[in-house]
Amino acid sequence: MIRLDQRYKLSAKSLRRCASVQDGHLRLFSLTVSVRIAKATLMSVIAWGLPFSVAPSVLAEDVPTAEQIQFFESKVRPIFVEHCYECHSETADEVEAELLLDSKWGWMTGGESGPAIIPGNLDESLVIDAVRYEENKVTAMPPRSKLSDKEIGVLEEWVKMGAPDPRTAKKTMVPVANEIDFQKRFNEHWSWRPITKPEFPWVTDRKWPRAGLDRFVLHKIEAAGLMPAAEADRRTWLRRVYFDLIGLPPTADQFAAFLSDNSEHAHEKVVDELLHSPFLGEKWARHWMDLVRYAETYGHEFDYPLRYAHEYRDYLIRAFNADVPFDQFIREHIAGDLLNEPRKNPEEGWNESIIGTGFWYLHEATHAPTDVLGNEADIMDNQIDVFGKSFLGLTIACARCHDHKFDAITTADYYALTAYLQSSCRQEYPLDPLGKRAASTREINRLRRLAVDTLKTSDLVMTGETGKNSGDYYRAAMQVVAEAKSEADLAVVVSQAAKAEGLDAALLQRWVDKHEPIKNELIDRGYELENQNVFADFKGDTLPEGWTTSGLAFSPIGSGLQLSSDGAVLVPNTVESAVNGKKQVGILRSPTFEITTDRIHVLLKASAGAAVRVVIDNFQMAEFNALLFRGTFLNNKGTDTQGQWQWKSLAGDLRKYKGHKAYLEFIDNGDASIAIDKVVFSDGGPPGKMRVKKLVFDSDALSQMEQEAAIELRAGRVHPLILVLLRNQILSVEDISQEASESLQQARELAENLPPIRRVIAMAQGTSEDAHVYIRGSHQNIGEVVPARFLEVLGGEPATRLELANRVATLENPLTARVIVNRFWHHLFGVGIVPTVDDFGPQGLPPSHPELLDWLATDLVEHGWSLKHLMKQMVLSSTYRQATVANEAISEKLVASVDPSNDLLHRMRVRRLSGEAIRDAVLVASGRLEPKPFGPSIATHRTPFMTGRGARPSGPLDGNGRRSVYLSVYRNFLNPFMLTFDMPSPFGPQGRRSKSNVPAQALTLMNDPFIIGQATVIADKILSLADQNREQKIAIMVERVHGIVPTENQTQQLSQFLESQANAYGKEDKRAWADLAHALLNMKAFYFLQ
Amino acid sequence: MTKKLHGHCGRFASRPTNRREMLQWCANGFGALALSTLSESSSASASGPWVSKPSHFPGRAKNVIFLYMDGGPSHVDTFDYKPQLEKYDGQDPRKVIGKLAPTQFDAVGKVLKSQWKFSQRGEAGHWMSDLFPCLSEVSDDLAMIKSMTSKFSEHTSANYFLHTGNGLQGKPSMGAWLGYGLGSENQQLPGFVVLNGGLIPPGGLDCFGSGFLPSAYQGSVFLPKAQPLANIKPSEANSQLQKSKLALIRDFDQQTSGQLRADPEVEAAIQNYETAFKMQTAVPELMDLSDETEETKRLYGLEAEFNNTKTFGMQCLLARRLVERGVRFIELTCPGGNGDRWDQHGGLVDGHNKNCKTVDQPIAALIKDLKRTGLFDSTLVVWAGEFGRTPFAQGSNGRDHNPFGFTVWMAGGGVKGGASVGATDEWGYRAIENRFEIHDLHATMLHLLGIDHTKSTFRFSGRDMRLTDVHGNLIKEVIA
Repeated sequence: MIRLDQRYKLSAKSLRRCASVQDGHLRLFSLTVSVRIAKATLMSVIAWGLPFSVAPSVLAEDVPTAEQIQFFESKVRPIFVEHCYECHSETADEVEAELLLDSKWGWMTGGESGPAIIPGNLDESLVIDAVRYEENKVTAMPPRSKLSDKEIGVLEEWVKMGAPDPRTAKKTMVPVANEIDFQKRFNEHWSWRPITKPEFPWVTDRKWPRAGLDRFVLHKIEAAGLMPAAEADRRTWLRRVYFDLIGLPPTADQFAAFLSDNSEHAHEKVVDELLHSPFLGEKWARHWMDLVRYAETYGHEFDYPLRYAHEYRDYLIRAFNADVPFDQFIREHIAGDLLNEPRKNPEEGWNESIIGTGFWYLHEATHAPTDVLGNEADIMDNQIDVFGKSFLGLTIACARCHDHKFDAITTADYYALTAYLQSSCRQEYPLDPLGKRAASTREINRLRRLAVDTLKTSDLVMTGETGKNSGDYYRAAMQVVAEAKSEADLAVVVSQAAKAEGLDAALLQRWVDKHEPIKNELIDRGYELENQNVFADFKGDTLPEGWTTSGLAFSPIGSGLQLSSDGAVLVPNTVESAVNGKKQVGILRSPTFEITTDRIHVLLKASAGAAVRVVIDNFQMAEFNALLFRGTFLNNKGTDTQGQWQWKSLAGDLRKYKGHKAYLEFIDNGDASIAIDKVVFSDGGPPGKMRVKKLVFDSDALSQMEQEAAIELRAGRVHPLILVLLRNQILSVEDISQEASESLQQARELAENLPPIRRVIAMAQGTSEDAHVYIRGSHQNIGEVVPARFLEVLGGEPATRLELANRVATLENPLTARVIVNRFWHHLFGVGIVPTVDDFGPQGLPPSHPELLDWLATDLVEHGWSLKHLMKQMVLSSTYRQATVANEAISEKLVASVDPSNDLLHRMRVRRLSGEAIRDAVLVASGRLEPKPFGPSIATHRTPFMTGRGARPSGPLDGNGRRSVYLSVYRNFLNPFMLTFDMPSPFGPQGRRSKSNVPAQALTLMNDPFIIGQATVIADKILSLADQNREQKIAIMVERVHGIVPTENQTQQLSQFLESQANAYGKEDKRAWADLAHALLNMKAFYFLQ
Repeated sequence: MTKKLHGHCGRFASRPTNRREMLQWCANGFGALALSTLSESSSASASGPWVSKPSHFPGRAKNVIFLYMDGGPSHVDTFDYKPQLEKYDGQDPRKVIGKLAPTQFDAVGKVLKSQWKFSQRGEAGHWMSDLFPCLSEVSDDLAMIKSMTSKFSEHTSANYFLHTGNGLQGKPSMGAWLGYGLGSENQQLPGFVVLNGGLIPPGGLDCFGSGFLPSAYQGSVFLPKAQPLANIKPSEANSQLQKSKLALIRDFDQQTSGQLRADPEVEAAIQNYETAFKMQTAVPELMDLSDETEETKRLYGLEAEFNNTKTFGMQCLLARRLVERGVRFIELTCPGGNGDRWDQHGGLVDGHNKNCKTVDQPIAALIKDLKRTGLFDSTLVVWAGEFGRTPFAQGSNGRDHNPFGFTVWMAGGGVKGGASVGATDEWGYRAIENRFEIHDLHATMLHLLGIDHTKSTFRFSGRDMRLTDVHGNLIKEVIA
């Protein structure tokens, strides 16, 4: 029962909510909340920007006049009763949006979206917005049919007159939401309980368990009165462990080696080999790719490319192969860009950790969303869904619109996580193989500094040995210009004047040619910036606050003298990307700002290869399609200033996005250059030139300037004259100092020979921002502010992204370790201990073996989060070694009654191979497998049925023999073979693939040209074997495909088949053998794993 | 008095607490499959995912033909007659209509009257423009919903929304939901067939995807040619070669199955070979029109001069043949070459003339043919684009996207022919009377097939997902 006068008390309560209390390992939050309607009221006040002191005016008990009452009763109340009360009154079955309209109190306090009526203010009154059907803020109401214009007019008139409402009775009963007791939820659900290492349970059969985990499994089997299955024969186990660990079948040699190894450690030897196989990462990366909705295009209408996605895939493969500790793996994913000591690639030396962050950005994306903020909200939903499920097994994204329906997760938790995403930027980060670029760049910088230092100590003799200065040249040049009557005449006059004045003729010629620009540049006072909204001017030796870079290209020039490796004198107080040569690569990023003007003007000097863009609400697609984002992305002609400093404007559609958050990016992808002087926001054109009074500019002034310039240079500063003379080629560094010139020459050579870079998709820290709660998930309906933090029930104090990563990657967090060991169990045993591998919440299924789960989790952490350790003990266990049929000593009836679906693992499960494993195994059988790892994906082979926008050229039918993990994943043109065998559509996290069993699979294996083609290759290979008779060839083929040796009967049967097919062909052997191979590929013994 | 506040998520029944409850909970047809994805033993095995399943209540229709008008037909030029546009033709819409929402191309022109003559057709008196001379003959069979709305004014999101009830990619399409709920009556043809006239809508094959449902439910795209479906043509030179191969496979598989004590998954996979073999015959037989009369072919426009009429006529005829064979959900996409689908941002007159010429005769033929073959009462025909078009011009001779109010129509099983519900404002800009959303269309379609849209759920992502998400009201006015 809440009254308005309890607001303040509630606010105190609300504050208390923010504080956390220490409770053991976990920081719990005080969960005495919350009568939702009261919370909503509080939010609404914040949302509407009304400070508390203002609130009472809204609450004032103005007494309506008799006429007003008459108006209300005769006109307004009937509308409410007829059209609104059904959902917005005490008598409603279900009150919608927490809004009551059957009392003044109801609309004043409002519903989820805040006060429903602001007396006197039509545009701010949500009720008016609703009935106008314009949907600016809230859904049109009444939902089915619009009120008549007359009725809408009445409501408008009433609100305009101050919404006089005689319904003063404060309700004694108010609707109260079912209180959500998060603490209770937290306390009652198993997966929130801290992990402790359980004791081994008691088992009768002491001999059976090989690994610790076996005791937990056996305990339950025995308790049910069952016995474990017999041990699988060695061929079966070997085929199983090969497919499970590396996704490929054993070869005949590998079978032979294992079968002849009678040592005690034969199994372990195999497992150790497999754990060191480079194929291991290729198998396990694909499982992780299912979770992070890995794809190489963005989907939607045109399926634009998601460049460099394959680098993330290769990172995964390397990480699994290197057994990167899983806690490190998590930190790299969440905050790999922020690690103090990023993991270095052992061969290439580049920053390996940052590549992990790429997973955030593998989402689908559309061009031209009419609502860019809504688009961002949808993408963040997907990012948080992936984050929550992959690492924590939590359905956090369910809390986007309302507190989680079942779990201890609040809407505020959800938006606190969006704050991390809002505070981050997507980048295409340049890796630096072997750190060679960094080393070269350091050396180039040193040489450039050396050149400058040399210059400073040189005599500034600009005019060579003649002793003449610039003033002399200028005077002579002016004379020449006055005397020369024609172009042809000019050379003669120059030569005469030079001789007469003792000047260098060639230099004088240059002065004659350039005197006009030199003069103009020297009297140029720059731009009129007073009253301009200057966003950045790049003064100083460091970047302005909040500006960041990726890569090595961008450097602030500062006020001192700086020479580029190309010998150019750099303009002071700018930032520039080609200081160390044009091949440098990098991104310069501004802090986040709110767009307030129609245009953004940038004073820059750039080549066509550079790009400038405004990233609005983190929208990344403008580069692909300018629809609705015209003028927010400049490149090619848009950035090419032909060597001059120019204002370039980001304009066009930008004006549509006023009020939106954005940041600027300046991009140099190599072989380009861009220098930026100023960034100015305005509604009109770029700033004009400073008006200057007529200056006296003559040879004396120039001589004077030259003296000053020499002094300045020694102090390390750049006088404008130096810039001008160098720019107009009157002067060269070489003229001043041969030594400096040589340093620069060395620098230039280094800069031109930089090793190639590789780019990866990564996260970068942007401007840290709090997030707003979007009420009911609507970004048009802004609620309270939440800082970036982890889930409240797991601590929840504001934290950096790196701290967030640490909180996820710890055993103190009860979910992370359980979730990952369960994933491996799922992949190795067919069903997880928690079958719903991505959902450890109350909506998921509970663990079949909770103690086992916790034992595995603690054991993992005790072994340094080593996933290879985890795999090893699983595949060497007695549980894993079981046959797929139940122990013959127990009756089928007993099994059917106590463990019909094998939850207790009294036998191993029969599993169908994944699409990838089937295809890879076909390639192994045919010998076509190309074991080359890594690199860009092989284009998808496109059938005539794969048409539509964004279609790419078709790739080779056999994918060049590469493993399936290296086949392209185009969202709109997914590989039909893989889809048929349940590769998930890459849109959300899927730790557990669906297991369909459909005729399309049979049709694929029967008729797909890839299968047919490979069957022929298998046949060719077998037929080419010398010294083998027909029966031996048959046996070799069967072992290649099925991993077993056929019985005599089987061989005979296959031989007969060969004969009958050959007869049908009329004695042509080869096709019959291909038929045999094809038949073997269609047998269940091939694509099911025992 | 305790009140439940905003019960929009009321579908969250408390979850079963143990396996037995879970089984019971899943046993009622829907959800049974959800379980099978968790448990190896109760897999799709014995029957397959497309086996016919009981509906929640007796459905009025058994099959759906979804005529997808890709690109967004102009309702104000076809079924939604607005004399007001003639009166204000050429005026500034911002002045006469008032506040306009952002449009996709942001090039608002003048108010644009329809270039076609409207009149009322049949006893029902539906207003139709001259664009649909043939369809007007079956006017009384159509139920118009003239107040449909969408949430998206961009094709891809709107396509996903219309097909899957969600504007993002990767959710199950209507046909997949129906397959999950009802299965199909023909196990030798896919239960969800897309007859591709040439254009795959923006958003690609994911408009017909199975999303989080098992992949078996995704739509199979049939091309209108001899080999309409991938891998359906036997790879062997003659059937004897294939048969002997399959016999060998079966023999070996039975040995494997015996070793595995008839593991249900392996058994199901063996069974699939029987079905697949039959499909190889069923599909060519479907495509072979030699048993259709010349009169029928003419009716559908297979002899029309305009090539696209022939193509769409072929699609409509195939749709009827699929319905005859018990296929659950059939979607038709548009032929290419009529301008950019129905998406006439410019060249409205030419584009809409061609688009209507393409579909008018074949659709009318389909309805007539379904009626005379007795299939009409058990077949739900739905005609819809992803949105309508603006009553004002884009540039001078086009119209932009308009998701705020447009017309879709239904006919056939359970539909009240001749009914009309809802209205847009006098401009045809916003739906203002009996406003419906795509979720309502979906709820109604499912209802007509005997499915309660609130009960057809699939547990995914920690929620019980529905085609209608948390929305959906029946459009009672069009239900007979």
